Amino acid sequence: MISLQLKPEQQQIVESAEAFLTKGSPMNLVRATANTSVEMDTHLWSEIANLGWCGVHLPEEVGGLNLDWVSLCLLQEQMGRRLACVPFFDSAVLSATAFKALLPNPHAIHWLEKIVQEKAIAAMSLSGEHAVATAAEKGWQISGNWPAVGSAQLAHVVLLPARTLSGETLLFALPAQSPGLKITSLNTLDKTRSVANIQALGVNLQTEQCLALGPEADAILERITYLGAIGLAAEQVGVAQQCLDMALSYVLQRQQFGKAIASFQAIKHRCALMLVEVESARSAVYGAAFLADTQPDLSVLMLSASQARVTATEASQFCARENLQLHGGVGFTWEYDPHFYLRRSQASSQRLGPVHEWLERVAALIETSDLSHP
Amino acid sequence: MNSTESLEDQKFRDSIREWMTTHLIEEFEPLRHANGLGSPGYLAALAKRWEQELAKGGWTGLSWPTEHGGRALSLSQQMIFHEEYVQCGGPGRLGHIGETLLAPTLMAYGNEDLKNQFLPGILNGTTYWAQGYSEPGAGSDLAGVQTRARQDPQTGDWVIDGQKVWTSWAHESDWIFVIARCEPGSSRHKGLIFLLVPLHQAGVTLQPIRQITGESEFNEVFFDGARTPSTCVLGEPGQGWSVAMYLLQCERGASTLGQQAHFQNELNCLIQVAQTNGAFKNPLLRQRLARASLGLRTLRDHALRTCGDNAPLRASSISKYAWSNWRRSIGELAMEVLGQEGNIETDIAKQTAMQRLWLVSRADTIYAGSNEIQLNMMAERALQMPK
Repeated sequence: MISLQLKPEQQQIVESAEAFLTKGSPMNLVRATANTSVEMDTHLWSEIANLGWCGVHLPEEVGGLNLDWVSLCLLQEQMGRRLACVPFFDSAVLSATAFKALLPNPHAIHWLEKIVQEKAIAAMSLSGEHAVATAAEKGWQISGNWPAVGSAQLAHVVLLPARTLSGETLLFALPAQSPGLKITSLNTLDKTRSVANIQALGVNLQTEQCLALGPEADAILERITYLGAIGLAAEQVGVAQQCLDMALSYVLQRQQFGKAIASFQAIKHRCALMLVEVESARSAVYGAAFLADTQPDLSVLMLSASQARVTATEASQFCARENLQLHGGVGFTWEYDPHFYLRRSQASSQRLGPVHEWLERVAALIETSDLSHP
Repeated sequence: MNSTESLEDQKFRDSIREWMTTHLIEEFEPLRHANGLGSPGYLAALAKRWEQELAKGGWTGLSWPTEHGGRALSLSQQMIFHEEYVQCGGPGRLGHIGETLLAPTLMAYGNEDLKNQFLPGILNGTTYWAQGYSEPGAGSDLAGVQTRARQDPQTGDWVIDGQKVWTSWAHESDWIFVIARCEPGSSRHKGLIFLLVPLHQAGVTLQPIRQITGESEFNEVFFDGARTPSTCVLGEPGQGWSVAMYLLQCERGASTLGQQAHFQNELNCLIQVAQTNGAFKNPLLRQRLARASLGLRTLRDHALRTCGDNAPLRASSISKYAWSNWRRSIGELAMEVLGQEGNIETDIAKQTAMQRLWLVSRADTIYAGSNEIQLNMMAERALQMPK
């Protein structure tokens, strides 16, 4: 049996990340990124890389800090609170974790060292269903599409799955500048995160650039989907928390009928319900992040990832909507901040599969589980 | 956070399982998997003998300090006990009002004589307690208590007149703790007293309340010159409110750990019904069943994060609201899963259990502080919103 209370060193991570991002990613800088066509806050990214955050969960051999998944999730939570406009989730949480799963492959080592030590950015697609790989003279040739890949426009390296004609999965790592690879940035409603389509037209790759194939590639993609879901859920908890805090601060200061509207029960109950959602989601995420560190088998990890993802998605959506509503008329203006959180929350809710897909995974498992008494 | 269950915890788990398989047998067989009063096979006299059996095995007072005969187990070990207990078919517990509510309050507010008088009977399963809080005019607004207590100048006894309501299991209990007004003319939180009163006396009349399940777990308790000795008071006369509030913290805190293991049983039963009657083929019901499973996991994670000493107030105040709403929703889901069969009374055990769950769970969001009161408390205490 376990306790899910944070250890002192984990609490310290929360506090230092909170302090750093409050200063490093204030809303005026988030707006500066969101209101222009730039894809990220370059200065913030550079500072984050200097702090070593991109290697928090990576082994010391590649320059990482070798901490646990919980620590990474605690950073993610703070990133969410401040809508940090950086490719941390795509590069550190998804791609670097995939490379880590491929160690000691020399390409994986090469890219991990670049990510940790040289501020390289990686992006990853988790599905190869629209891409075909065919055997070529010196390796492989790939053609196809990977729609809506997070941070692809910023990436130095992309991890892309593709399928052979017989349906086998292959996982490739290739420089974003590879000839024949076309990355097209997309205009998005969530202005705080960069998304792009990737297209390959007969891109030639060497045999070694295929890092995993067949069942191994499938298993890695599945595991990264679950770990990524937990990491994204942590970020969503941060979004939800900040929405609650913003709403509270507004209703305490807004006066109507001669007093702060926070004193009205209709307002109190809505804030209390946000609290229930936020704290439940945080518990689900900590539980899942903790379990992720124990290297469980995929079906166990799936349950925890689903739990974190469903709970945190709904918490963040609920809190983002309530925050806007509790701001009243000004919540509908560009000038006030709630809409940025509403946009981020909506975009995140559809990444890595929406709630009903995660629920279906769980349903399929419990439908056939044997629950008869021993 | 530790990585896996320690060897010590595993041994502890094994010892519970071994004890249960060698003791929940023979005369106790009818209690296996019975949730509590009202469940088939669950008779109060037998359930009391079972409590005494548990006590002999050292399975009562798990959270109590050793000086009072308890085992001072960690929260996680208590949770292991509850999990294994339910897994092994352990029935609902009859003594929890005494063991998890009154006892910690006695330890905090009682003198040595009172502790010596009452704790052993609670620990060994021979004395059962009821809770005399709510009144017809004092429900959510508990400070509206009207029951009166006056001191007999001759004997020093406290003499009680008034009425309590929604008193669980009073008809199976020996004693009741009562909040009453001991200072005439006082109002609200002032002038209250926390009394320990014997139920078996002429001045006390019980009137069972027939509930929507058809059973009578609750009672009205009428006090008409009921007496208790001057020593049977917790805290100072006039200061009863703070004692009453201390006890409520116990009610909403760690004492709910044991419930979660029972919830798992109820959820498993629901899933089994859905597995056999085809409900899993319905795309909407499968989503709701999945959601219910995930919800219980989150309740458990939340308890593991917030039941310790260092939990932030913001986090710890929500568990009553969260579990009661979860359970009420699986009651509703159970009836959707049963479909038209849900309206038919049969002797199919799982079907009856699910129908019962639906009805019983309607009370969860009302007692021990209704949803609305819980939201008020979260807003005003955890979020510090103005009154």
